Amino acid sequence: MTPEKAERKALAAGLRKLNEDMTTLAELSELAIRKAIDSLARIDEGIAEEVFTLDQEIYALQEEIERTCVDLIALHAPVARDLRTVTTSLKITTDLDRIGRYAKDIAEVTVQFRADTSRHFKKLVSIPHMADLTIQMVDTATRAFVERDPESVRNIAEADDSVDALNDEIFREIVTYMMDGSMKVEVGARYILVARYLERIADHAVNIGERVVYMVTGEMPPRVRAAVRRKAGDSGVRTPK
Amino acid sequence: MTTAWRFAGGEATEPGAAQAEPSAVGEPVSEAPSGREPFVGARVGGAQVQSQNLSIWYGAKRAIAGVTLSIPRHAITAIIGPSGCGKSTYLRAINRMNDTIRGCRTEGTLLVDEEDVYGPNVDPVLLRKKVGLIFQKPNPFPKSVYRNVAFGVQLHYRATREELGKVVESALRQANLWDEVKDRIDDSALGLSGGQQQRLCIARALAVDPEILLMDEPCSALDPIATAKIEDLMFELKKDMTIVIVTHNMQQAARVADYTAFLYLGKLIEFNRTRDLFERPGEELTEKYITGRFG
Repeated sequence: MTPEKAERKALAAGLRKLNEDMTTLAELSELAIRKAIDSLARIDEGIAEEVFTLDQEIYALQEEIERTCVDLIALHAPVARDLRTVTTSLKITTDLDRIGRYAKDIAEVTVQFRADTSRHFKKLVSIPHMADLTIQMVDTATRAFVERDPESVRNIAEADDSVDALNDEIFREIVTYMMDGSMKVEVGARYILVARYLERIADHAVNIGERVVYMVTGEMPPRVRAAVRRKAGDSGVRTPK
Repeated sequence: MTTAWRFAGGEATEPGAAQAEPSAVGEPVSEAPSGREPFVGARVGGAQVQSQNLSIWYGAKRAIAGVTLSIPRHAITAIIGPSGCGKSTYLRAINRMNDTIRGCRTEGTLLVDEEDVYGPNVDPVLLRKKVGLIFQKPNPFPKSVYRNVAFGVQLHYRATREELGKVVESALRQANLWDEVKDRIDDSALGLSGGQQQRLCIARALAVDPEILLMDEPCSALDPIATAKIEDLMFELKKDMTIVIVTHNMQQAARVADYTAFLYLGKLIEFNRTRDLFERPGEELTEKYITGRFG
């Protein structure tokens, strides 16, 4: 085998490892959100503890992926699609790590609830719905990365609009409860924070989706503000993809 | 328009008079993929070297097959491609070095500053003064450092000793070699290191004040430090000079070149800004080659 061929095999092996680790990281991050929301819905400290462990694993794997990316750049100087895969992985690991951190933050809210009470003031509806949408966005974005499929994330910004709208709705609802005195401010603030964390997770899913489009096509999709998107939707005009 | 490399008194030929009209400067040479801004690199500063449907034959074998390419002025253009793709043949066509190869035949148009290089009144010696060539292996003459640099100058000008001394020093300074050789200017050039010899060859080319410098794998016989010195030198030279480099080392092309042309089996597959070619090549074949999936 020529040294060049051997080098290419090493690069291919490195990229394979990167892809496997990224897939695992995406799965762990998604699992962390699911468990965090589950822990909150049940006010279950045990599940919250699992999220804390997952967050540690996510961070460690993110560091490992960063090392792999730096090694691939330093040793193999990847170009074209390979280069875009490495740089996209570097960017996406940060998004996935942040998603893990927000899951941990939600689990911490569970722990705070657990200290005060064993049940919510009423059955949670909007937050689990918002969590479902958010998890679906993360799932779509990470699946698009694994399958190298930019088409599947075409509508992810619209999904984010729904999550943003739910965040606003939850905020207004909780503020109303706090103002009429049916909910303590401290408790209400926790729900608002959880909605905010989910909204941020959805934003990271959008980032991942954009990066997948770049990784596959070489083109970064333009960012269109939600208001512009809505206006274009109302007038039947297609927004730039 | 310069005609310095024509025979004195020779009639100027109309470039492309009997051939197809060359493409307009700046016309995209390779189509950009849909949705992407087309490449218009040659529009910046204009093209200094243009080939239109250029084909080069070695006997019955066609080494270059209908290459149309506009090489931008005062920039570094790299030509990459697997062995035998015609990179060096294309490079040598620009200053007619292929004329020295028996059985080599050129068809199509090759313009330097809009003048047909293969026109009937072109003096190849004067052309090569304007278009210098640096070879893969340093090839200094077995003479002193001074005589190596002065050689080309004396071929073209009748310079006084003082003038010659100034030209030699200036060329050696331009090639970033002066400080290393000023105390042994009369020693044999063969005593210099490989990297120094290559920079001496560059100084020898620079001494006759060329406008275009062709480099045929100039660093392939050099260590990384000598390579870095040549690359730094190329950056300085491109301010006033058009450089075309043939390289097997794709990282070198990515490092030094503003534009890169990818040749395969004698055909131009893609010509693009180097950054775009290495980050998001427009052609599948380019992608496969630069990522090492063939070649």
